[in-house]
Amino acid sequence: MTILVLCALIFGVGMYTVLTRREIIAILAGVELMLGSANVLFIALASFSGADPGVAGAIGLVILVVAAAEAAVGLALVVTLSRRSKRSSIDELTEVNG
Amino acid sequence: MTLEILAFALAALLMLGGAAVVALTKDLMRLVVGLGAFLLGVAGMFLYYGHAFLATAQVFVYVGGVLVLVVFAVMVVHRANGGRPLVTSQHDIGAAAVAFGVSGMLVMSLRESVGGWLPESGTSGSSIAQELLGGHLVAFELLGVLLLVALVAVLLIVGPGERR
Repeated sequence: MTILVLCALIFGVGMYTVLTRREIIAILAGVELMLGSANVLFIALASFSGADPGVAGAIGLVILVVAAAEAAVGLALVVTLSRRSKRSSIDELTEVNG
Repeated sequence: MTLEILAFALAALLMLGGAAVVALTKDLMRLVVGLGAFLLGVAGMFLYYGHAFLATAQVFVYVGGVLVLVVFAVMVVHRANGGRPLVTSQHDIGAAAVAFGVSGMLVMSLRESVGGWLPESGTSGSSIAQELLGGHLVAFELLGVLLLVALVAVLLIVGPGERR
């Protein structure tokens, strides 16, 4: 139960960060909090349910790699936005070009 | 048993403390340090649940890779501003209610699925490799393709750089 409350609490903190921060890097950090806590909860639940630890580890690794790829693309977007418009707050980014 | 509870408490403290710093600090570099503490706590939790390979991957990929990327991004985005990079936030009771309401829903919906303190069994790198290269080979290959696509996307997004 402790791990469930801990992970749910950190997921909530991550969501609060995403909802209240204005800086894109801070919002990405909030997303990382949500993904990390979800991954820990997944591994813990797999342990408690007696699932094959190899399968749980493999799926955990997949989540980890997908989250890393998301962070890399997100940070590349931040750097590009900053270089083009010198802005890094979501309140200043009100239009898209496409 | 006491040592195991101590290890759990240490990892939990790292996760919770790091998350609190990420949510509340106004200094962007402190936010990055808080994120690092949280990611180390996640690696500690993986170790606690017997997934040593995942913990190693977490430290290599996140603490060693993504965190350095974040520091580079902070340096590039805030280099012209001078002084310490600060973050703004609009603390809002409504946002807190939504976020922690979702937390409560998670606890309510999953409370039957969790048991005692200790994991039933651990795993090693070789068993993960057997799963990835055996029954889940397609997923493993797709993961490689995803990483390649992400890499190409990053190169395309960032582009050739500013002409001076």
